[in-house]
Amino acid sequence: MNAFGSLVYDSSVVQARLPAGCPLVPWPESACCRLDAFPCEPDVLADLILSRGERDHWKSMRAVEKRRQEWLMGRCVAKEAVRSLLVRNLDLHVPLTEIDIVPDSYGRPLVSVAPGRAATVRERLRPSLSIAHSHGTAVALAVLDPGARVGIDLESLTRRREDFESIAFSPDERSLLAALAPELRREWALRMWCAKEAVGKALGRGLSAGLLAFHITRAVAPSGILEVQLRGGALNQFPQLQGKSLIVYTVRESNFVFSAIIYQHYQNGAVRMRPSRQEILEYLLHKMGELTQDWDYPDPVSAESKLFTELGFESLDAVVLCTAIQEHYQTPMPFAELLAEIGQQQRDLSIDELADFVDTHLGGPAGTSGATRRVQ
Amino acid sequence: MPSMTESEVFDKFAQIVAKSLRIDASQIAFDTHLTDLGAESLDLIEITMETETQFHIFLPDKSILETAVEVFGPGILEKDGYLTEEGKRFLLCRMPEADGRAFDGEVALKDLQHYFLRVGTWVRMVQGLAQYTPAECAFCGGPMGASMGFRMKCAQCGLEITLRSGEELNREWVREYYDKEYRTQAGAPVSATAAQ
Repeated sequence: MNAFGSLVYDSSVVQARLPAGCPLVPWPESACCRLDAFPCEPDVLADLILSRGERDHWKSMRAVEKRRQEWLMGRCVAKEAVRSLLVRNLDLHVPLTEIDIVPDSYGRPLVSVAPGRAATVRERLRPSLSIAHSHGTAVALAVLDPGARVGIDLESLTRRREDFESIAFSPDERSLLAALAPELRREWALRMWCAKEAVGKALGRGLSAGLLAFHITRAVAPSGILEVQLRGGALNQFPQLQGKSLIVYTVRESNFVFSAIIYQHYQNGAVRMRPSRQEILEYLLHKMGELTQDWDYPDPVSAESKLFTELGFESLDAVVLCTAIQEHYQTPMPFAELLAEIGQQQRDLSIDELADFVDTHLGGPAGTSGATRRVQ
Repeated sequence: MPSMTESEVFDKFAQIVAKSLRIDASQIAFDTHLTDLGAESLDLIEITMETETQFHIFLPDKSILETAVEVFGPGILEKDGYLTEEGKRFLLCRMPEADGRAFDGEVALKDLQHYFLRVGTWVRMVQGLAQYTPAECAFCGGPMGASMGFRMKCAQCGLEITLRSGEELNREWVREYYDKEYRTQAGAPVSATAAQ
């Protein structure tokens, strides 16, 4: 048990090969991965894990060796995190070289996984991802929900200059630090810094709006929780976060401080009307039409159509559909269990039944906000 | 330090970077990027602080483009993470030394970050800001030295001045650009200066 209390150390099979020990928010559909040393020669690792485009980037990187190696370690943990996420939640096994990570125009890493058979699968899986590296250690946090915002950061306590508070923090933030026991201040200054970084990464723009645009309003010492509110330029970028507190988890482990945030934007108050069962069914039929537009069915797809025997679905197609549904409703649902159950019972699933399933798992009475399902 | 030449600023800045990143100063050139030298975010803070102390300046805490986006409002200089034509015009005006072809085609903001972290960009920024740091007292002509915080004090008569912050100077420059170069041409309704 670490300072997070309820947080757990991840110990999936995938990570058993890697030095484990990354703090992980107890989120049902997330995976975290950490690496403290190269498992093999960097060039060998690059060949084993990088996609073709990434390998070109690796070879053409002009940076110093430390920077190149940390980039590679970052890719390694990111891919491992995504892989273990897909294995555990969707029972999907994807080679690391097929997990493509490309920064968007702001520099936020975007994941794209083609779960094989690209010809029939029209949708790629796009889990949310954040990567951090420092002082020879790399960590990554991946979340299945493509709409989630995730951020992770780490910093080493072995830094020479300790007076960065004067430039990184506002007077209010410095008074939060001053209220702590003197022996905790240095560590908590770093936690606060990492919290800002994590929020910057989660929102996808980094700290470009300036350090003071990410304002720490609360520090809960025993739990490691920090609350961050946006100000100034960051608020211009994300006006919907006006007055909202973003919760960042931090933890210290030997000489490192880690921070992590998983934010789903409907969580902190954005009211989202829960769709009716009829709306769900309409959406599913629409989505099915999209997914199977050139599959040439003799009869139109209806609520009674059965996915596997009538519509010719294979398990991978079902995974793609389920991911699309979760993405659409921005709510994780236990699809893996559903698919396992119908597999065991050797029965089929109609679109009507699927609508029932979604209706059940969206939670909350119809017509009210479904936002309270997964509060922090 | 108004009289420093570009190469003097470069040498001094390179020493700061080398010490902070624990690398040899010979690895640093005008065209080197700080991130390629292995600088992480906290290293940049460290370099910023050391540069401020040694040059008696107050560096801005965000890029000129971020400040400009705050003044212009969203969607004018950048859209969806890419520079607009207006954004390219703005940056070329601000950095006439930049290679115009650098802005050909689509320019993503993430690539600009790289540009803002070029050693040469920092050197020019430091040199520009150092103009506002007086070497001599405006009142008695005595030598000025660092005082508490971002203040300078005359060793002779004790006159104290507060240094102007890079952020403030950037903002002034952006507002002037908005009023003179952008508003007249684009017919934007309110003066940036008047709006503040």
